Amino acid sequence: MKNIKLILSLLLAVAFVALLGACKSGPTTIDPGKKPLKIGMTNPITGAAAEKGAPMAAANLDAIEYINNELGGVSGQKIEVLSLDNGYDAAKAVTIVKRYIDEGYLFFTCASSGMMTAMMESANRASFPGIVAFSAPNLTQPPQHIYGQTPDYGDDWVAFANYYLKNIWKGTGKPKMALHLLNNSTGAGAKKAAEAKASEMGIDLVIVKEHAATTSSEIASITEIKAKSPDILYISSTPAPTAVIIKNAKELGMYPGITIASGHAGITKALVDLAGADVVEGVYGVYPTVQWGENVPGMAKMTEYVRKNHPNYEGNADYVVSWSQSLIAAEILRLAVTETGADKLTPRTIEEQGFMKLKDFGVGGLHGPVTYTPGDNRLSKSVRVLQVQKGQLIPITGWIDAPLIQYAK
Amino acid sequence: MAELLQFVITGIAVGMVYALIALGFVLVWKSSGVANLALGQIVLLSSWITYAALVQMGLTIWIGFLVVIIFAVFLGWIIERVFLRPLIAQPILSLITVTLGLAYFIQGIVVFLWPVSVAALPRMFPVEPIRIGPAVVSQQYLWAAAISLFLFIVLSLFFRFSRMGIAMRATADDQRAVQACGIPVTRIFTLSWIFACVLAAVGGVLMSSIGGVTFGLVETGLKSFSVVILGGLDSLLGAIIGGPIIGLAENLGDGYLSRIIGWAGIKEIIPFFIIIIVMFIKPYGLFGEERVERI
Amino acid sequence: MDLPAGTRNYRYADDMAIFRTRTQKVLLALLFILLFTAPLWMNRTWLGVANLIGITIIAATGLNILTGYCGQLSIGHAGFIAVGAYTSAVLTARLGMPFIAGLLGSGIIAGLVGMVFGIPSLRVKGFYLAISTIAAFFIIIWVITHWDSMTGGYMGMSVPQASLGPISFKSEESQFFLIMGVTVLTIFFAKNLARTRVGRAFVAIRDNDLAAEVMGVNLFRYKLTAFFIGCFLAGIAGSLRAHYTGFLSHEFFTLTDSILFVGIIIIGGLGTTLGPILGVVFIRLLDQILTHQLVPFIEGTKVLPAGFASGIAPMVFGLAIILFLILEPHGLAHRWQLFKASYRLWPFSY
Repeated sequence: MKNIKLILSLLLAVAFVALLGACKSGPTTIDPGKKPLKIGMTNPITGAAAEKGAPMAAANLDAIEYINNELGGVSGQKIEVLSLDNGYDAAKAVTIVKRYIDEGYLFFTCASSGMMTAMMESANRASFPGIVAFSAPNLTQPPQHIYGQTPDYGDDWVAFANYYLKNIWKGTGKPKMALHLLNNSTGAGAKKAAEAKASEMGIDLVIVKEHAATTSSEIASITEIKAKSPDILYISSTPAPTAVIIKNAKELGMYPGITIASGHAGITKALVDLAGADVVEGVYGVYPTVQWGENVPGMAKMTEYVRKNHPNYEGNADYVVSWSQSLIAAEILRLAVTETGADKLTPRTIEEQGFMKLKDFGVGGLHGPVTYTPGDNRLSKSVRVLQVQKGQLIPITGWIDAPLIQYAK
Repeated sequence: MAELLQFVITGIAVGMVYALIALGFVLVWKSSGVANLALGQIVLLSSWITYAALVQMGLTIWIGFLVVIIFAVFLGWIIERVFLRPLIAQPILSLITVTLGLAYFIQGIVVFLWPVSVAALPRMFPVEPIRIGPAVVSQQYLWAAAISLFLFIVLSLFFRFSRMGIAMRATADDQRAVQACGIPVTRIFTLSWIFACVLAAVGGVLMSSIGGVTFGLVETGLKSFSVVILGGLDSLLGAIIGGPIIGLAENLGDGYLSRIIGWAGIKEIIPFFIIIIVMFIKPYGLFGEERVERI
Repeated sequence: MDLPAGTRNYRYADDMAIFRTRTQKVLLALLFILLFTAPLWMNRTWLGVANLIGITIIAATGLNILTGYCGQLSIGHAGFIAVGAYTSAVLTARLGMPFIAGLLGSGIIAGLVGMVFGIPSLRVKGFYLAISTIAAFFIIIWVITHWDSMTGGYMGMSVPQASLGPISFKSEESQFFLIMGVTVLTIFFAKNLARTRVGRAFVAIRDNDLAAEVMGVNLFRYKLTAFFIGCFLAGIAGSLRAHYTGFLSHEFFTLTDSILFVGIIIIGGLGTTLGPILGVVFIRLLDQILTHQLVPFIEGTKVLPAGFASGIAPMVFGLAIILFLILEPHGLAHRWQLFKASYRLWPFSY
C-alpha cells in the first residue's frame, strides 16, 4: 500500500511539473519582414489614480488606433501595444515592466510618476527606455533610461514664478509667497524647486503648509497663511483639495485679493466644477498641453477619435497628455526605423536612434515642442500659463521654457 | 484671539460631520458586535448614488435625497441578509474580514459604474459664509452640524422610548436572553444595518457637498474610527462628543502645534496619535462600557 | 499531523518528526529540486511573480504568527514592512553597511517598532487593537514621509542591490535564490515555532488569555514576543522588497495592502503553517490572471465600454474573500487537510 502511494505521489508530481512547463514561454520566433513594432503601455486604470489613469489609457490606445488605421502605422508597419493596468500598485507595476522587458518589447510608456518610480530601477538595470507622462526629478535625475514627457511640478513652479515676477508683481522688493502642498511627490516637487530657487529669483517664501488629498477644510491653515499676509499663494495639488483651499480662502476674505496659482495637477475642469466657477475666477495655473477646442493642427483628429470611442472623456485634460504621448512614441519609432531599419530594432537602438534624436517635434501643436538635450531627460520643457475666466481655462501666454533645475544631492 | 475662535468653530463643525458617520458605526457595533470596516466605502457608494440621482437623472434635491435614503435602506438590508447572515455564529475575526471583502467589492462596483472618479454635486446650501464675531464659517458646515445633532437626538429618543429601540439595546447586551424573550434577533440586525447605511448615506451627502465626490470619502471613514475609539465603541453620546473633540484637535493642532514643531503636515496625524494615547489611558473610550471578562 | 494508517513510532524523534514517512521525504526532496532549479524552466515573468510571492509569504507568515497563532489582530502590517524596507535602505545606502547587516537590522528594528505599537495589546484586544494598529500604520508612514534627511521624504530613495560578499544579486534568477532561500528558512522557523513552548503559549493566549494567565503564561512577555517575531519577519520581507525593486517610495505601502494581508491569511487558513503559503499563492495568481489575462481579454472583445472591465478586478477580489469566509471559514489549509484525509481513507469515508 505504501509503495502504491509513493508511486501515485510521484506521478502526481510529474504531472504537476508538466503543467508548470506551460509557464515557460520564451520570446516567440518572429518571421523576418513586416513584424509589428511592439511597445508596452501601462496606466493606473483602476485603483486610487483611476480618475487619471482610465482616460489616459484610453487616449494612448485611441491615438495608436489612429496611427495604425489612418497613417498606416510607422513607415508602413503597425504598432502593437500591450496595455496593462497597474492599479496604482507598485508590486504589479514591477511585474508589468519585467514582462515588457522579458517579452521583447521595444520601450514602454506610463502615465504616473508614482508608478514609474516603482518600475524605474528594473527598467534602468535592463537599459529598457520608458516615457512617463507626468514626471518628477527623481525619475530623470541623474539621467538614465527614463524620460519625462512633460515638465514636473518643480518646473511648473519655476515657470510660474518667472511669469509672476515679470507680469503680475507690481510692488517693490521681494514678493511674499505662501505654498500649500499635497502630501506626496506632487507637493514635494514644488517645494524642492521653491526651496532651491526662491531666494535666487527674489521671492520670499514666508510659509509652507501641507494637506492631505482627502481634506475637507483648510480653514486653520489658511487662517495662518492670512496672518502672514502673502502676495501670492501657490498650490501644488490635485483638483479636490485645491478647490477646498480656494473656497476657504474666499470665505476668509483672502481671495480675490492675493494671487492664487496652481500647478498642472490641479488646474483642470474638475477644479472649476468642484469649487464653482465664481469661486475660482481669476485663478492662474500652468499646464503643459493645450486645452480642448484650441485651434491647433492635432486637435481635429483627437476630437474625432474621442467622440467616436470615448465621448465622455471629451474635455478631459489628461486625455490630451496621453494622446500626445502616443504621438511622441510613434515619432520615436519612426526616427529609429528610418535610421536603423525595422528588423534591427532593440531597446538600445530605440533609445539612441529614437529618443535621443528627437528634435523640435511639434506633436501637432498639442504640446510644447519635444526635443532631447543631452543631460536633460525631459522631452518637453515648456508650459503655458492659464487663467480661469468665466469658468473656462484660458491660456494667457505662449510656450514658456522651464529651465533644468539642478537639485543639490 | 480671532484665530482661536476660528479654529474652534471650524473644528467643532467639521467634527460633527465625523460624528455622523461614527454614529452609523456605533449602531452596528452596539446591536450586533460587528465592526463595519466597509464604512468608508458605503459612504462613497451613497455619495455616488446621490450624484447619479441629482446630476445624471436630474431629479430635484428633495426627491433625489429620498431616492438615496431608499437606496441606503436597500443596501443595509442586502448587506445584512446576504453577507452577514451566513456568518452568524462565526468568530469576530471572520465577520471583520467579511466587511473588508465587502469594502473591496463596493469599491469595485463604484469604479465599474462610474469610471470618472471625481464629481461635483450641485450646490445644496448657500455659499455665503456666516460671520460669528471675527470668525467665518461656511454654511455647509453649520448645516452638517445641525443635521448631525438632529439625527442624534432622534436616535437617542428612538433608543430610549420606542419598542424596537429598546429591543436593539437589549440585543447588544445579551443576545441569548433576548432570543429567550421571543424577539427576532435577525430582524434587529437587519434594522441596525439599515440605520447604519442611512446614516452613512446622509454623512456622505454632507461630506461630498463640501468636498465633492472623490475617493477621499473612504479616508474620512477612517477618521471616524478615531472618533469612535475616543468616544467609546458602544456609546452614541461618545460619538457625538468625540467628533467635535477630534475636529478641534485637528484644527488647533494644525494651527498651533505646527508653529511650535514646524512640521508641515501634523494635522493628518493628530487623530491617530489621539487613538494611541486613548489606548494607553482609557482603552474603552470616554463613554464606553468597560468589558468585564470572565473565564 | 495526520499520518497514514500503519505508521508506528518507536522513538521520540520519529514521533516529533515533521516529515515522517518515506513518501513525505521524497516529495519534500522533489519540491526542493523543483524550486531551486526553477530558473532553468521558468521564464522571467513568472520568476518575477515567484519572487513577489516569496516576499509576500515571509510577511504573511509573520502576520500569521501574530494574528493566527497569538490572536492579536493587526491591520498595520504594511507599516512594519515599510519600516523594514526603509531601515535596510538607509543602512545600505546612507550608512554604507553590507547587505546582511541591512537585512538583519531591518528585521530587528521592525520588530522593535512592532513591540512598541504592540504595547496597547496589554490593555485591549480584538477590534480595539486592530484600530490601534491602523493608527500605527499611519504614524509610521507619516514619520517616513517627514524624515526627509534619512528617507527622502515624499520623493523616495534609491536602494543599492543586495550583495553577499562577492556575489551581487542583480539578475532575476539570483534574486530568486536569495528570496526563496529566506522564504524556506522562514517557513521552517514558523513550523517549528508552533511546536515549542513559545508557540504553545501563543495558542493559549489566543484561545483564552485569562485562562492562560491563570496557568502561568506571562501575557506581557509573550504578547510582546509575538509582536516582535511577527514584525521581525515583516521587516525581513520589507528589506528583500526594497532591494528587489531598487527604489522606495512611501506610496508602495498602503492600508489596502495591510488589509489584503489579513485577507490572505484568512483565506489561506489562520493558525497553520501552510495557510500563508496557500493564501499568498491564491491571491497573487488571481491578481496576475485578472490583470494580465482577463481584463485585456474583456477589453479586447469590446463587449463592454472601455474602463468598465477594470472595475471587475476589485469586485472579484472582494467577492473571493467573502465567498471564502462564508463557504470555507477555516481557509484553504483546512480544505487541504480534508482532501488529504479523504485521499488517505479512500474508498472509505472515515
